[in-house]
Amino acid sequence: MAVIKAPLSRPKSPPLALWLATLMAMIVVGGVGMYQTLANGLQVTNLSDRVPWGLWITHDLSAIGLGAGAFTLSAVIYLFRIKRFEPVARIAVFVGFLGYTSAMLALAMDIGRPDRFWHPLVFWNVHSVLWEITWCVVLYSTVLVIEVLPILFESKYFARWPKLANLSHKLHKLTPVMAVLGMALSLLHQSSLGATYGVLSGRAIWFKPSMPVMFILSAVAGGVSLTLLVTMILSKLQGKELIDKWLRRDMARLAAFALLAYLYLKIWDWAATNYYSHAPGVTNALERLQATTPYTRSFWGLEVILCGFIPAIILLNRPFRRRHGILMTGLALIVFGVIINRWNVTLSGLVVPPHWSPGVLGNAVAASYVPSWTEVAVSTGVLGYALLAFTLGARYLPLFPKKAEDGGD
Amino acid sequence: MAKKKNKALISRRDALKIIGATGVTAVASQLLMSGPLSAEAIQGIARETGASGEHEWHMGIDLDKCIGCRYCLRACQAVNDVPDDEMRWNIGFPERTEGGTDFFMTRPCLHCQEAPCVKVCPVGATWVREDGIVAMDYDRCIGCRYCEVACPYDVRRFNWKQPEPPEVKKNPYQPMWGEAEVERRPRGVVEKCTFCVHRIDRGLEFGLTPGVDPQATPACVVICPVNARVFGDANDPESPISKFLEEHETFRLREDFGTEPKVHYVRPAKEEA
Repeated sequence: MAVIKAPLSRPKSPPLALWLATLMAMIVVGGVGMYQTLANGLQVTNLSDRVPWGLWITHDLSAIGLGAGAFTLSAVIYLFRIKRFEPVARIAVFVGFLGYTSAMLALAMDIGRPDRFWHPLVFWNVHSVLWEITWCVVLYSTVLVIEVLPILFESKYFARWPKLANLSHKLHKLTPVMAVLGMALSLLHQSSLGATYGVLSGRAIWFKPSMPVMFILSAVAGGVSLTLLVTMILSKLQGKELIDKWLRRDMARLAAFALLAYLYLKIWDWAATNYYSHAPGVTNALERLQATTPYTRSFWGLEVILCGFIPAIILLNRPFRRRHGILMTGLALIVFGVIINRWNVTLSGLVVPPHWSPGVLGNAVAASYVPSWTEVAVSTGVLGYALLAFTLGARYLPLFPKKAEDGGD
Repeated sequence: MAKKKNKALISRRDALKIIGATGVTAVASQLLMSGPLSAEAIQGIARETGASGEHEWHMGIDLDKCIGCRYCLRACQAVNDVPDDEMRWNIGFPERTEGGTDFFMTRPCLHCQEAPCVKVCPVGATWVREDGIVAMDYDRCIGCRYCEVACPYDVRRFNWKQPEPPEVKKNPYQPMWGEAEVERRPRGVVEKCTFCVHRIDRGLEFGLTPGVDPQATPACVVICPVNARVFGDANDPESPISKFLEEHETFRLREDFGTEPKVHYVRPAKEEA
């Protein structure tokens, strides 16, 4: 087969131009939203003291969760030495890098004092999971930069600086160390993001030790799925298979097993806290959730069935898995499921606040939240950034190893 | 040629190593001596507030005595300069018991000893003082609102917008219900009831007794026309709060959360069995 040299398509190709224009529009919209937010404060959001976290937190949690492909595949390749996954190492790291930078962008908008973003690094409260998360995310983002730099330096644009190639070679030698570090840091903060909710004794729906484990399992499933999904999309666009058939199968199965473990825990978590037991606080909160919000329905309908069992069947069933369209749908459902889960978890705990008044009238009302246009705009902009960076990366960076040794230069 | 290049690089690498090691040592020692790794910083949150473990401030609210006049809400808003009703630190609303008795429920910050908000703050901007007051450092807060999410009593308020200066936005409760004794808080930080800590700290300096002398007692307690609110040092058996706790059967809000609040309530009206 002839090797196609052009990475994506010709620069003047109208679909690409249209796509880039769309991304630029998204970024412009995001810029307007960010300006609004920084100029006027968080009053431009629909957040309130009852529901202080909403769309942007969902964006952070999803972006970090879906960036988990980087640490998972790095660990699989460099720690467990399953070398056959190596062809997707770079794309996984690149997607992870975009996820973490997106999360930091959205977070910078979400905190009330972005000028004080560095405070957790200097002022320590070691009892706070959020403090631990901040440190892990900062350190892990550094790891990701070290892992991404070689990709950048090996691209042809840096060829004129051989020293950089040399440095890149040295950084590349650090990869196994970075994989260990990355796994340790990720196991910590991916779980702690769930613990953020799981440790709050005053919030019955959240307060359970399964929270951190469910977060990391869903992140592994979602992260690997996203890595495979973007690889398949790029393969389609470039008109050639970027990875072998068997690697696609192995990645799909890796994602599926993580998804099954997640579903197993999720169902048991529900059974243990609802079906087989009666804790008044939990029962009361869940009854209010069912009566006043759509979150019980979206838990079963979207999280468990549509984005859980259905993709698990698709990924594990050979005839389904072999059809590209169906496999990609399954992967997209898992990715969507992670996002829906982060939204559901955040909102369901907040909209049914605990009863604390000794009477029967007060605070019985459930809070509600729908994001404002500014929140949507900022999120759109951050998504636009990630997609633009991904497009440029896919076009100009050596994200996949050259497959055919003989077809080379 | 390649070899020469390598040699030059090695020496440079050594130089970099030395510089790096020196730098790391300097930074590490700095961190350990006085920076964020020092013993003081890790315990945290011990601040020079002048508070000592000698006192422990508690409040009592007698829901049976309360007439629902809302004076306490207004005095709080005037003294702590909270012009916006939605930002109230001390909230109140009509309530009804399960037995059908109407009463007026009010709630300041409960100043939990095991405060969930304190545990979760990533920067230690809020902490339980030696005297039990849950304090806020507006200069350290980054506005992440995790404390709001963690507090089960809906106590905390976030500054969603820039507060206008007092001369632009007049506080409708001043001067009728009191004068501003503290500054308005900046945009982007969380605030909450302080038990009028400025009165307590200053009062003690002047030898006054919080809970007894009005200048050293929270504004909501002082203004109550029926003495439904009581304040004082639980370590002092003669204080109004100690007597209140002795004389009444009290409860605290949602004790099952394990938060150990320092606000004690008396039930409204004895319900006929």
